[in-house]
Amino acid sequence: MKRSYRGVILLCVVLFLNIIFTQKAIHQYYFENYTATVIYAVLNLVLFPIALFIYHKEKNV
Amino acid sequence: MDKNNKIPFDEDNYTHNINKSNERKLDRRGFMKTMVGAAGLFAVSTLPWGSIAATELMGLREKKYPKKEIIDVKKLNIGDAFEFAYPTDHDSALLVRLGENEYKAYQNACTHLRCPVFWEQSKSELVCPCHHGFFDVKTGSPTAGPPRRPLPEITIQVEAGKIVATGVKRYET
Ligand code: FES
Repeated sequence: MKRSYRGVILLCVVLFLNIIFTQKAIHQYYFENYTATVIYAVLNLVLFPIALFIYHKEKNV
Repeated sequence: MDKNNKIPFDEDNYTHNINKSNERKLDRRGFMKTMVGAAGLFAVSTLPWGSIAATELMGLREKKYPKKEIIDVKKLNIGDAFEFAYPTDHDSALLVRLGENEYKAYQNACTHLRCPVFWEQSKSELVCPCHHGFFDVKTGSPTAGPPRRPLPEITIQVEAGKIVATGVKRYET
């Protein structure tokens, strides 16, 4: 059966962004840029519902 | 030999006992589930950083640092270093006397992975032995090795023959 791999690719992108935001959050924390840290932490949080959404949309395609 | 201790029949492949049809493959949906789980894990793992940063933003912006006597000027020769703790007892720091009236002090947790940084007098350099990180004594910024951020500098004053720490400088970015 032919499968759509769009979901897999999108989730890979999400995970890639996760890695970047985590890295950024921690670095900015040590640089004492606390606003930036909070922004990156929130971005990371927001990615989770997005991942869930992608999963629910794509699991049966 | 009993029944369970011998090869049941002649065979040239040993996969006959694998019955679960999906045991040997990670399917698309399973992979996506794993990815969602990982996204959740990342979200949770940045939470503490975010919340510490948030509390830091609220109010504590301009930190107050205690004054702390480090050492007698007479006890520290030019070119020598002295280890102390500042601002709390758990933050180790390093004071270097560079000249008659020239002092530099840094928190000596390496900005790579927090190993203690040492003063290499013969080369006039701050050295982190863990992964060969080097820092400039004059500025605290890394000159070689894995560290990317400068060491946090501690402001120093000389009062009545004693060297006194007065605060930790903020990063200027
Ligand atoms: S901890 Fe200092 S170089 Fe890695």
